Amino acid sequence: MLITEVKKKENILPFIKGKALFIVCLGCKEVYFPEKEYLMLKAELKTAGVDINNEIKLDYLCNEDYTKDRFAIHKNEINCAETVIVFSCGVGVQVFSGLLPDKKVIPGCDSLYVPGFSGFTPSSYDCGQCGECVIGITAGICPVKSCSKGLLNGQCGGAKKGKCEVSKNKDCGWEKIFNRMAALKENDGKLKSTIKIRNYNK
Amino acid sequence: MQKYDYTKYRFKPKAEILALLDGYKKIYIISCNKCFNELTTDAEPEIAELTQILNEGGKTTAGFMPVDFLCNKFLTEKTILNIKKDIAAADAVAVISCGIGTQTVAGELNVPVLTVCDSLDQGGQHGISLGLQKCGACGECYLSLTGGICPVVNCSKELINGACGGAKQGKCEVSKDKDCAWENIFNRLTLQGRQDLLLSQPPKIRNYNLNSAEIIENYVKNIQAKRNEGFYGGIYPEENKELTSGKAIQKIKYPETVCIPMLQNAGATCEPLVKPGDKVKAGQKIGEAKANISAVVHSSVSGEVISVEQRRHPLMPFSVLSVIIKSDNKLELDPSVKSKGSLESCSKDDILLAVKNAGIVGMGGAQFPTHIKLASSKPLDTVLLNGCECEPMLNTDNRLMLERPEQIITGLKLLMKAAGVDKGIIAVEDNKPEAANILREKLAAETKIKVAVVKTKYPQGAERMLIKRILGREVPRGGLPLDVGVLVNNIATANAVYEAVYLGRPLISRIVTIAGSGVANPGNYEIPIGMLVSDIVKSCGIIIPENFELKMGGALMGFPQSNFEVPVIKGTNGIVVVQKKDVLREEACIKCGRCVNVCPMELKPHKLVYYAKAGNWSRSEQEGVMNCIECGCCEDICSSKSEMVEIFKKSKKMLREMKINANNRS
Repeated sequence: MLITEVKKKENILPFIKGKALFIVCLGCKEVYFPEKEYLMLKAELKTAGVDINNEIKLDYLCNEDYTKDRFAIHKNEINCAETVIVFSCGVGVQVFSGLLPDKKVIPGCDSLYVPGFSGFTPSSYDCGQCGECVIGITAGICPVKSCSKGLLNGQCGGAKKGKCEVSKNKDCGWEKIFNRMAALKENDGKLKSTIKIRNYNK
Repeated sequence: MQKYDYTKYRFKPKAEILALLDGYKKIYIISCNKCFNELTTDAEPEIAELTQILNEGGKTTAGFMPVDFLCNKFLTEKTILNIKKDIAAADAVAVISCGIGTQTVAGELNVPVLTVCDSLDQGGQHGISLGLQKCGACGECYLSLTGGICPVVNCSKELINGACGGAKQGKCEVSKDKDCAWENIFNRLTLQGRQDLLLSQPPKIRNYNLNSAEIIENYVKNIQAKRNEGFYGGIYPEENKELTSGKAIQKIKYPETVCIPMLQNAGATCEPLVKPGDKVKAGQKIGEAKANISAVVHSSVSGEVISVEQRRHPLMPFSVLSVIIKSDNKLELDPSVKSKGSLESCSKDDILLAVKNAGIVGMGGAQFPTHIKLASSKPLDTVLLNGCECEPMLNTDNRLMLERPEQIITGLKLLMKAAGVDKGIIAVEDNKPEAANILREKLAAETKIKVAVVKTKYPQGAERMLIKRILGREVPRGGLPLDVGVLVNNIATANAVYEAVYLGRPLISRIVTIAGSGVANPGNYEIPIGMLVSDIVKSCGIIIPENFELKMGGALMGFPQSNFEVPVIKGTNGIVVVQKKDVLREEACIKCGRCVNVCPMELKPHKLVYYAKAGNWSRSEQEGVMNCIECGCCEDICSSKSEMVEIFKKSKKMLREMKINANNRS
């Protein structure tokens, strides 16, 4: 799922012209929205001379139906703005600009991905959506995501004391797989039987 | 809007499933009820499908369990605990889910966990709705330069410096059906007359390290900690407490007339003791409680009764018998208003009687008669004073703690004596540090009472949440705090108990926070019970702006009022003017899972809505709709704009009526 970080002032300022409308999407706020950083940026932009004509707080900008309805409700605010700055994930900005193709719509945020598809609490587990799930033979641990290199056929040999060579803070996914298989006394025959080649076309 | 089915997985081919399960005979099936597609049925056919495959492969099933949102670790842990016995009898567990769900299950169990599904790449990250727009989550959004069309997701090659040159007639060389994203970008920018800015940019190089594992892990840890703070679920609304947190309590200008409803408590309506023409004094009893669960009502002013009639009520959908009194502006007290003694001189029964005669009810909004709670026969060990005030904008409890800490502490001691317990706790949220400090100072020498500061989160003030967080006790579903030995009271109630005993003053006025847009004189006012909102509007200079509404209570759980001829009652803790939500029509539930994640009672609100709409009351009851505390977290967060609280209120009413009818028949 997506979370957002507010852009730096200098990355937004050059794009703002004339009266500005700020759209703030708080739909995912309970997961994460940089509220404090947003207020700070707003103050900075004001100091830098941006004419903040209006601010509309809403949620679920990603829902095109609702965004259309809101256009009708907030017609006046939108019409009198020359630049619309949308503080949301990339989906929200694109829905908004897609519905108003002749209006200058710019993003106020950068989007990052955190693991977890539904709901609120991001998961500690991640899924690579590779389309050929192997965790049935890797003791329920995904090598695509838990190995830095996404290796499918066992560890690379670069791990030191169970930690990945990429970072001391990262466990070696394959060592975790090996340890859990040992704990479960699982037969590793299925794991060793074939060399797997990932099909990126799935 | 074209809706896309974002189901994240599909079954593996049958042969692959059977090869995976080779060596295992007895299989337990856990299946995730797919997220991000429309909720049109609560039946998920995958379990039957897999059972058949297993049967064909000569295997048996040890049991099965459909689960909503398997990736929700907190709830999945609980579910697995319930089925652990059945799983122990199986050789392996087969999970029907995306990779996240399967890994969550595998992390909980020490038996082989196998996946029978492959997860599908969505080609970017989708939003909460089922729209087609996607985001590449690159961490350095280019949409400013590209007219709001994302090249990372929409260009096959993810180019960020313009078209590759391979497109023919606007179509990508990868597929004739795919638009060239850069041509779309160029056309949009030309429409806006902004193409020059893009063309003048230096070449950009994408930084793939912005989404690094360490950065993401950090976010995940922080978000998880915040979400699970103290109790499961809940939300963090904008607080807006600063509007009135610094405003000392002041008396409002008393009105010419008051309208005192005979129903200001959970339970039965009182019978009026006065008739038009009668002279009354302030504090004189004017309504008698005849029923078991009820609380007496007093006049809040001195003057003459001009009418006893049905009037609008701020909370009830029907009119309520009310006594209208014209004030003589003298506020002469009734002779019955005199001290009943002190903490030392009053016995347990004296305190109970004083509380009963003062007509005290829970002043946090629930309005349950306090003397009934106090007289409970259940064994109690703790009185918990609730000073959380988790509703946005309100400061009544905060100001009482700051300005009248001794009275509140004495009130708590009176409650402890009346309940026969010697442990008291005052719970304060960490957004009111000054109040907590003053109470701690005043309680420095006390051993039996302590102050507990808890992190701010809504609905912390709900009794169950508070008890769980502070005492670690879980109030059973359908039970009361009294069942776990705890008596919970509000700060304002403790203050009223103090006044009832020490001053003999019944509950005839209360502190109300008045705040919000268009309020000229916001503050925390002492307001006589029965003062009409229309008089308060005049007195505090409230002009309600366009798109705003007035609510009685807090900004979240308060009741919107369209007609201001309604009185302040014993449970009115705030009058706030807040922005109306944009009115959007309800859409079909898309199983985004958010309501399940915020429900502090650990219910599945989306399913409860589904059952209510289908009229399936037995399932609704099974899934625990009667435990809903109507906190509104689910509705606040619903991405399909379902009016959930209203639906659950109706469901509960329906079930109660069905029970009564069934009893009558038998």
